Amino acid sequence: MTWFWLLVLTGLALGLGYAPIPERIKALLLVCTTLAKVLVIAAVFMHLRYERVNLILITFTPLILAIIFFSFTFPETLGSASHVIQVR
Amino acid sequence: MDASLAAEQQRILASDWGGGKSPFGTSWSKFMMWIFIISDALTFAGFLIAYGFMRGISPAWPKQTEIFNMVLITFMTFALISSSAVMAMAVGAARAGDPKLAFRFLVLTIIGGFIFLGCQAYEWTHFIEEGARPWTNPWMPAVPQFTAAFFVITGFHGFHVFSGVTILAIVAIRAGMGKYSGDQVENAGLYWHFVDVVWVFVFAFFYLL
Repeated sequence: MTWFWLLVLTGLALGLGYAPIPERIKALLLVCTTLAKVLVIAAVFMHLRYERVNLILITFTPLILAIIFFSFTFPETLGSASHVIQVR
Repeated sequence: MDASLAAEQQRILASDWGGGKSPFGTSWSKFMMWIFIISDALTFAGFLIAYGFMRGISPAWPKQTEIFNMVLITFMTFALISSSAVMAMAVGAARAGDPKLAFRFLVLTIIGGFIFLGCQAYEWTHFIEEGARPWTNPWMPAVPQFTAAFFVITGFHGFHVFSGVTILAIVAIRAGMGKYSGDQVENAGLYWHFVDVVWVFVFAFFYLL
């Protein structure tokens, strides 16, 4: 059953890849689909739902921190220039 | 604070963290596998974040659904997810004390891994024949770093799949000989599922976005 739902989520992600929707909405929906798949694999296949909270926290904390740090630094790459400087 | 409550808290802390008992409620080997998975996940996170930066600062980026054979990539995803499901059944059989059934499921998992690797080898060959290299690509200068990101991310993941197949082969041989424990199969399974998790990210962010 888990295998079936993973295939459904994969099909959904594939459909999103081809969907004629704005890139940012597509990115958001793909992130949601991907996180859903990861949670299913971690909870069911990797048995994380049966583990103690200590182990679940130590597993996800570094990854959540990585996403937070990434979100701090990434937006600059999307900005547009307002000052022109000489570059080599 | 009430003295008896403080003493009770001390006793619980000592019982959990004072040694002789895992505060995570797992075996030592399984906990070490989780630590390895976390560190490896951060390595992949670094690669994917670097890819995000490169893509963000590039003036353009190829439409992947036009460059890649998405039927092949979807089939690779299907093979990996299916092998992950079979691996979960191998762990269940090993836990139930059925080495023969665990061996059969492990062999099926390995076959899934080889199918994935074969498809990846085909994809790389096709891409290289088109002129793609880790240091340059035929679409330059419009998309600098595109093939570097492709070869590094899919190559590092492919190396993990190859390592996983090797580990699973060793565990399968031991299971076939009856020299195995449920823990060994479960630890190998954790690694294999992790490889699947990484591919879920690569599939979404490299091939679809």
